Parts: sequence; structure tokens; C-alpha cells
Amino acid sequence: MAASVLLACGLNEQKLPGFVHISEESNVDGSFLISCILGQRLRISNAGTLLVCLQHHYQHYFNAGMRLGYNCNIFLGKTLNVIDVLSDMANEGFDSKWLKTADGLTLTEQLIEDIRAQLASNYSNRNSYTILIDNLSILFNLGASKVQVQQFCQSLAALAKEYENLTVITKLSNSDIHQLTDNNVAKLGNVRIQVLRLKSGVFREVDGKLLIERVLDEGSYACEETRKEVLYKVNDRNVKIFNPGEVGVKV
Amino acid sequence: MRSFRNRTVQKPIRGTRTSPHTAQVITSSGNPSLDTILGGGLPIGSIFLCEEDRFVTHAKVLAKYFLAEGVLSKQKIFLGSLDDLPAEMLRRLPRPLTDVEVEVEQREEQEAQSEPLDKNGLRIAWRYNDLPLVNSEQAPTKIGHHFNLMEHMDPKKLYYANTTVWDGYKTIGVQEDISSSSTSVNEAPKEMQEIWDGFIQSVEALADGENNNEQSEGTASNTNTTNTTTTTTTTDTQSSSVIDPNMFHNSRYGRLLQDIQQLLRDKSFNPGAKKNLCRVCLTSLGSPLWYDEHFGEDLLKFLTILMASVRSCNSVCFITMPMHLIAKYDTTLVPKIRQLVDYAVELESFAGSDRETHPAFKEYSGLLHLHKMTALNTLAVHMPETTDLAFKLRRKKFVIEKLHLPPELQESSSSTASNDIMGPAKCGGNVLPINSNQASASLDF
Repeated sequence: MAASVLLACGLNEQKLPGFVHISEESNVDGSFLISCILGQRLRISNAGTLLVCLQHHYQHYFNAGMRLGYNCNIFLGKTLNVIDVLSDMANEGFDSKWLKTADGLTLTEQLIEDIRAQLASNYSNRNSYTILIDNLSILFNLGASKVQVQQFCQSLAALAKEYENLTVITKLSNSDIHQLTDNNVAKLGNVRIQVLRLKSGVFREVDGKLLIERVLDEGSYACEETRKEVLYKVNDRNVKIFNPGEVGVKV
Repeated sequence: MRSFRNRTVQKPIRGTRTSPHTAQVITSSGNPSLDTILGGGLPIGSIFLCEEDRFVTHAKVLAKYFLAEGVLSKQKIFLGSLDDLPAEMLRRLPRPLTDVEVEVEQREEQEAQSEPLDKNGLRIAWRYNDLPLVNSEQAPTKIGHHFNLMEHMDPKKLYYANTTVWDGYKTIGVQEDISSSSTSVNEAPKEMQEIWDGFIQSVEALADGENNNEQSEGTASNTNTTNTTTTTTTTDTQSSSVIDPNMFHNSRYGRLLQDIQQLLRDKSFNPGAKKNLCRVCLTSLGSPLWYDEHFGEDLLKFLTILMASVRSCNSVCFITMPMHLIAKYDTTLVPKIRQLVDYAVELESFAGSDRETHPAFKEYSGLLHLHKMTALNTLAVHMPETTDLAFKLRRKKFVIEKLHLPPELQESSSSTASNDIMGPAKCGGNVLPINSNQASASLDF
């Protein structure tokens, strides 16, 4: 269902790089990538996953997962744990801990505390662990500053180095607007996936473009990296990948 | 133990149906042609953003359709606005058409289209006579109602509607559940009539009060934070949680959000309960009346929390925003706002522009730009047949059609004229704004 897109991004293996960043341009929806990665991680036996829902509810990922052929609810509470910020804000209203700076903690500090707590209780039982954060730009909307978001991502990258077999995957939408933060966060890891719109407009058979940048060897003087560009189309139950030039206008 | 189990089919919420394409529960936006573009209707839990035209004529019409549909479907309605008088807007909702009227109207339209062909008759390409007429109007699906914009809705229907209005000063609600009422619409009890009269009087008082305020404020700043107290009238909108003063710089956002959240927390809107649907309509959100020094921060925070609330229960939200003004305030706000909604549609009216008199667009009132459609609770988003859309505001209804240019413009230099108006050709140029420096770039595939 989503194997081709994961293969293109190099995320189809059991052991993933420590920090992966997904940059999403304005007017492009890259949340299908989160659903694809989530499905792949859940299928690996004894691999733990923590989903931090900032843009969509857990229910969205459940429904999208059902379309891709996996059921999140089976894994929920076992190998899958969720920090659903949106649901919490909806249920608690203005008393939600994400809206009040209780205990002198900022929003990002509160979030990293929760992630650490989840990690402490679940990491030891698992062979590998993945933290998926679906949209960092929501943190800006909720009042976090650029520095706070940057520090938050640095803390996550530090966790990835501290724990073996821990992968952190972040996504930032409107990356063209938050360019500075986007570049700084991308520098924390070795893999960066950019979800770009088609410059020439809209095409029925292609939704957008994925630009995958992977640092192979970061030497003292030169940095060896690969760049790969593929086109994607999100269908009802799968995601298709095309190489540039493969798809043409049918007359 | 029997393996057989009785099949229990859960009753759908009034005015909703399950989409055969996405298996999502959808509800009508009130306008059949808009529903078709959206793939049948608005999914429950979604936010629809209508970017207002410059004279705010057409966006208001769509908002009225949305509200009128809610009234007819006996759904809960929340209407909030600083620019308009919400109660007054409610009183001017369009009248619903009966099935017979809808049939008559459709027959008349068909006859009107077929008449000129019959008269002229095709002599050369006569075989085309047998082909059915192309109807470029987005075909309506069987959901929602049809309305007549020329006439107003019966006040008795509104009287029984489950409505809460917010105008920045007071929250007023008229709540009567018609299903629990044994009396007929024509025999409304006197007590209820008194409540309705009081409601109307309060609306008029509000109108006077607002006018007085406007006069007294003069050119002073619109960020009035001292004289606004949330008053509850005949509703259950009592404050339960205290708003943190640091949360919003403009306290109006906090109060509006608190009222909406309080309403949405009702058990009947619980996703599991599937009893009723709440329609939240906010008109002219982000207009100059909302401006202050921290306008952008407050607006984005408000929309984020609103998004969280709307998605957590059985509700749909319709927002109109003057995006052309917001873009002048801060250009980066536009994509940020669009990211927080599920559907973003811009109405570009021809009123006051060169296109108003141009022969290519004489049939249309404006263009409809589809900026965003999100795959909510699903993987792939529904894409309409075409994204080149235009709208017409007819006497009785608002219609969205595929944009058709006439076969040949009368001017001799028609191609150059049409290029001047349309700009350079591009694939689906309506959907995404393309930077001028990228417009000349080669195709990506």
C-alpha cells in the first residue's frame, strides 16, 4: 500500500536513522507520509511508537491507517502510545495544560517532559522506538517562539543520540515561511524529506513532489549527500510513486 | 449461545449521510453546487473557510445558505460576528423551496435552455441536435435543500430553531427543541411568542447599542476590552472556566472561543452519541474590528483551538474572512490560516473590476478559486471534475459552474483580449497560487 513511498524515502527498513525531518511547503498536504511511516513501524514486531498529534486527531490516523490496511486500535496502549494534544485542548478547554503555562513550564518543555515520561515507561520493553511528531508549526500557533521550537527539536535529537534504536520523525508545514527553523531542524538529522507542490500548477495524476536528501558522510571538509526526486500521487487506498518523466499528459 | 445477532443500525444524525466515496459522514453546506464540488458535502469535524469578495456580497450568501440548511435540518446553530448583526442575519435567511417548486424550477430551466436550439435548429451539424444539452452547473446530489434567495424564511421556523448568536457584546440564545414540543408550528404558545418578541427586541436594542458605540468610539481603536461583558440571556452559556488573561491579547477571541467550546461540550454533540450536529458560523472573522497589535498571534491561536474543538465532536464550522485585508496586514498569515482549515475557497467577484463588463465573463458574477481541500479522516482528498470554476448570483439562487468561455468573442483580437483577462495559461491555475517567477518554469513531469 505504502511500500513504494517508504522505499523511495529510505524509511522501509527496520532500523531507521536517528532523526528524520519532513518539510512541507505551503498548500501541500504531507500528512500521508506520517500515516505511511506509522503503518510501517506498527507492522514491525515489538517496535514501540509514540505518536504526537498536533495537526490531526488520533482518529484521523486511525481512519487513514484503515485505508492503508492497518488497524491502529489493535496496537493502541501496547506498542502504540499517543499524546493527543488537540483532543486534550478540546476536552479540557482553557484548563488544558497545553494552553496554561502551569509549573513554570513552557508548551515545548511540557511536551518534551511528556515524551520523556512515555519513553521511560515504554522504551525498555521494545527493540526499537519511534517518535512521530505530526506538525511542529502548530507549536508556533500555540505561542511557542522560534527559539523554543528549536530547543525542543534539539532535545529530541539529544534523545535520539542518548537512546539506541530511537528514531525521531518531525514534520513542519509552511516550511517556506518558517525557513530558518526548518533548515535548523533539518540540520539535526541526516535525512530530510521535502514535500513540494508542482511548480507548473495542478495535475490530476500527480499530487506533488518529494525531494529526499540524505547525508551519507559528513567529513571535516566535505559533506557527501544524495538527493533524490520523485513524484507522488495519493490515492484512496495507496500512494503511488513516479520518477520524473514517467508520467506524461495523455491526449 | 446463539451466533446470530440482531442487526442494529444506528440512526444517522439529522441532515447528514455517509459519503459513498470516503465513507465519511457529511452534511450539506446548504448550496447544492458547492456540495458537489466538496464531494457531496462538508465532512463532520471540518472547517470551511470562505475568503470574502471585496464587497462581502457573495460570501454572506453562502453563509446564509449554511445557516438556513441548519435551521431546516433542526441542527444547533451558533452564529458569531462582529461586523454584522447576527440576529438580523438570521432573520434574513432564504426561504426553502418545496419539492414541487424545485421540480418546477428545474423544468423551467431545462425549457429555457432548449428553446433557442429548437428555434434555430442545426442545419449543418444536425446530428448534435440529438445529443443532450451540456449542463455546466455542478450537478446537485440528494442532500440538503434548495432555497429561494428572493424571499425570507418563515419567522416561525426560526423561532423553533436551536440558535445561539454572539456579537462581541452578548450571547443570546433561543433554544426550543421542536421534537419535544407537542404543539404545531402554527399554534405557538403565548409564552414562547413572548420569548421570541423579547429576542427580537433585544436584537433591536443591540443594533441601537452598536450604532451608539460606533458613534461614540469615532476613530478610536477598535480593541475594546473594558466595556464587553458576556451576558447570558435565556441560554445555558454560563462561564465555567476562567480565561487566562495571557492566553489572548484581544479578549474577544477568548470569550467567543469559550462560548463555542461550552456549546460543543454538550452531550448531544458527542461523537459516540450521534444525536445532533452543531453548525458554527463565524462571519468576517479577522476583519478590521478584530485588529490590534497582536492580531496575527491571536487569530492563529484562536483557529488552532477552534480546529481542535470542532474536530472533537459532531460539528461543522463555516468561516468567512476578508483575506484580501489580512494579506495586506501580513502576507504570511494567509498560508498559515489556510493550513488551519480543511477547505479554503476564495470568491473573486467581478464587481468593480474590468471583468464585470468583459464579454468573456458576462454570464458570471465572479470566479471561485479552490485553494485547499484536506483529506480529513481519510487518505486521499476528493477532487472535483474541474478546478476552473465560476459563480453566478441569480435572482433566486447562487450557482457555481464550470468556467466556460464563449466559443468566439466578438472582438477581432479575441485571443489577445482573452489572454489579457485570463492571464497566461496554466494547469489548474485556480487551485494554487503560483509565484510569478515560477509561472514560466517548465512542467514537472
